[in-house]
Amino acid sequence: MLKLRFHGRGGQGAKVASRTVGTAAFMEGCNVQDFPLYGAERRGAPISAFTRIARGQIMERGVIPDPDVIIVMDHTLLSDPQAAPLSGSNKGGVVFVNTPESPEQLKADYDIDALVITLDLTKIGLDMVGSSILSTLAGAVASRIIGIGEDSLKDAVEKELSGIIADRELLEKNIEAALYCFRSLEPVEMKTLQSEHGKSTVITMPFERARISSPAINAAASSILKQTGNWKVFRPFWDYDVCNKCMICVSRCPEGCISLNEEGFPSVDNEHCKGCLICVEECPKKAIKAVRGPVPDQVEVTGE
Amino acid sequence: MSTEPIRSVKDLPQEENLFPGTAACAGCGGLLTLRHCLKMLGENVVIVNAAGCFTLLSIYPFTPFRSSWLYTAMACAPAGAQGVRDALDILLEKGKIDPEDNLKVVVLTGDGAAYDMGLSSTSGAIYRNLDFYYICYDNEAYGNTGFQESASTPFASRTKTSPAGKGSVKKDLFGIWNSHKPPYLATISPAYPVDLANKFKKAEQYKGPKLFISLIPCPPGWSTDPSHTFKLAKLAVETGFWALKESVFGEVEHTYVPERFKPVEEYLKEQGRFSHLFSPVRKEEQLGRVQEMVNEYWERFGILL
Repeated sequence: MLKLRFHGRGGQGAKVASRTVGTAAFMEGCNVQDFPLYGAERRGAPISAFTRIARGQIMERGVIPDPDVIIVMDHTLLSDPQAAPLSGSNKGGVVFVNTPESPEQLKADYDIDALVITLDLTKIGLDMVGSSILSTLAGAVASRIIGIGEDSLKDAVEKELSGIIADRELLEKNIEAALYCFRSLEPVEMKTLQSEHGKSTVITMPFERARISSPAINAAASSILKQTGNWKVFRPFWDYDVCNKCMICVSRCPEGCISLNEEGFPSVDNEHCKGCLICVEECPKKAIKAVRGPVPDQVEVTGE
Repeated sequence: MSTEPIRSVKDLPQEENLFPGTAACAGCGGLLTLRHCLKMLGENVVIVNAAGCFTLLSIYPFTPFRSSWLYTAMACAPAGAQGVRDALDILLEKGKIDPEDNLKVVVLTGDGAAYDMGLSSTSGAIYRNLDFYYICYDNEAYGNTGFQESASTPFASRTKTSPAGKGSVKKDLFGIWNSHKPPYLATISPAYPVDLANKFKKAEQYKGPKLFISLIPCPPGWSTDPSHTFKLAKLAVETGFWALKESVFGEVEHTYVPERFKPVEEYLKEQGRFSHLFSPVRKEEQLGRVQEMVNEYWERFGILL
C-alpha cells in the first residue's frame, strides 16, 4: 500500500489534490481512499489530506502518521509547529515541496532524511492558470512521483474539476498546467502496492474532567501570539511617495493590522496580515502594490 | 463618549478592541464589521456568542478580545445575555461592583442563529426589554459549516443545499424585530463605517434592546475574491439591495439613500453564488425578478428608482 499525505493551506486545494491522485490511481485499477482533515480553522489555515492506494483491499483507516510521500504545498508550513508536515517522513520516502528553492537547500535547512523534490508550483499556477489555487498541480506532481500514467491523470483532472469549474477554458488551462508539472518531474521507484494487514489494536480515549475540557482564557488579546502572516501569497507594499495618509486602508482592514508609523504613513503588521488585499483594491491613490511573499527570497526589503 | 456625530473615517476611534491572529478567513466582512462595532462599544463589554463562524474567534488558549466572551448554543445567546445582565444588575444593586465597572452585554450571532434557530429567544428578550446589544453578522447562509441555505439566503443565491439557486425570498428579520418596537434597531454595513459608528452613538442613549444587522460579504461562501469584500459590501448598498436604515421604537428611517441606484446586476455578477444567472445563458427572468424585488422595496417607502 502507498500512503500519501498532503499539507496545504485552506483554499489552496490540498483536498482536491488528494482526490485527483486518488481518482487517477482508481482509473488504473487500484483501490483508493482519500479524505481531508481540517480543524476549526479557515481559508489560509494549515490543513492536511490523505490518500491510500493499494492493489488489494485497504483495511487501514484514519490519518496517516507514516506516509511514503509527503506533498507540501506551501513552503512556510515547513516551520509551522502545528502543521508539522515532515513528521513521520522516513529515509525511503519522498518529500515534495512547492518552493523556488533547491532540494539540497531544503535538505540542509530542515534536516530531511527522505528524498526531496521541489518545484515552484505557485509560479506555474500564477503563470499558466492565473491563480494560486494549486489543487491539480499538486495532484499531478503526486501522480508523477508514484508512477501513475499521463492519461489517467488527465482523465482524473477532467473528472474532478468538471464538478467544480463551469468555465471550460479555465479547466483546459488547469489540465495544461497539470501536465506541465507532471512532465517536469521524474517518477520515483516506490515499493509495491500490496496491502499490509497490521495487528488490530483497541483505541481508548482518556476521559477529561469538565474543568479541563472546558477551559477559561484569562489573558486578554492573546490572539496576537498566533501569527497568521504565512497565510498569504501576496502582501501589500506601500509607495510612500504616492500615499496621502487618507487612512482608508487603515479603516478597511478586517484584521486591524495596518497602523500608522512615526511619520503618519500606514504600515502593515506582516506577522498577522492574511493577504486579503482589500487595502490594495481600495486605495484611492493606488499607492499600494501586491508583492509576492512571504517566502524570504521573494520579499522585497527596499523602503521598509 | 462625545455626542458629536462622526463625519469621516479620520474621526473614527483609534482604539482597537479586536486583535489580529484569529482564524477568520482572509477578507472576512464579518470581522471588519465587528472591528468597527467594538471600536464604538469599547472594552467594557461581555460578548455572548452563539455558535457560528465567530466561534472561531476565541479558541483556547487564544482570544482576540480585551473583554469577556461567553459561548452559547445557536438558539440561546439572548437567553445567555439575560443571565449575564441579571447577574450584573444584582451585583450592582448589592454594591458589589462599582457602577463604573458595569459592562455592556453584547449578543453576537450569524444569520443562522438570528434568522432561524435563535429567533424565539431573541423575540423573548426584546419583549422583556432586556438591556442588551445584538449584532448579527449576516452572510446569508450557514457559512461555518460549508455554506448551506438559511432563511436569510436571498432569492436565486446558490448554496450547498440549493445548488440551482434558492427558490424563496430572504426573510425580513428587520421587519420581524421591528414589530416588537424595540428602542433601537438598525442595519449596518462594513463599507459604511461612519454610518455604523453614528448608529452605535445613537443607540447608546437607550436602555433596552439595541439591535444591529450587518450584511457581510463572505469570500469562500459567496465565491468572491477576498480583496473584493469592501467593494461588494458597498455595491450591496449602492444598488439598493441592502438598505441602510434605523428604527426608534418602530419608526423606520433610511440613513443613507444612494443618489442614483446602480443596477442590481452589478452586485450580482461579481459573485460566484449568482454566476448561474449569467452563464452559460443569461437567466433574464430571475435577474428581472431580483431587480423587481429591490424596486418594490424602495417604492414602498416612496423612494423611486
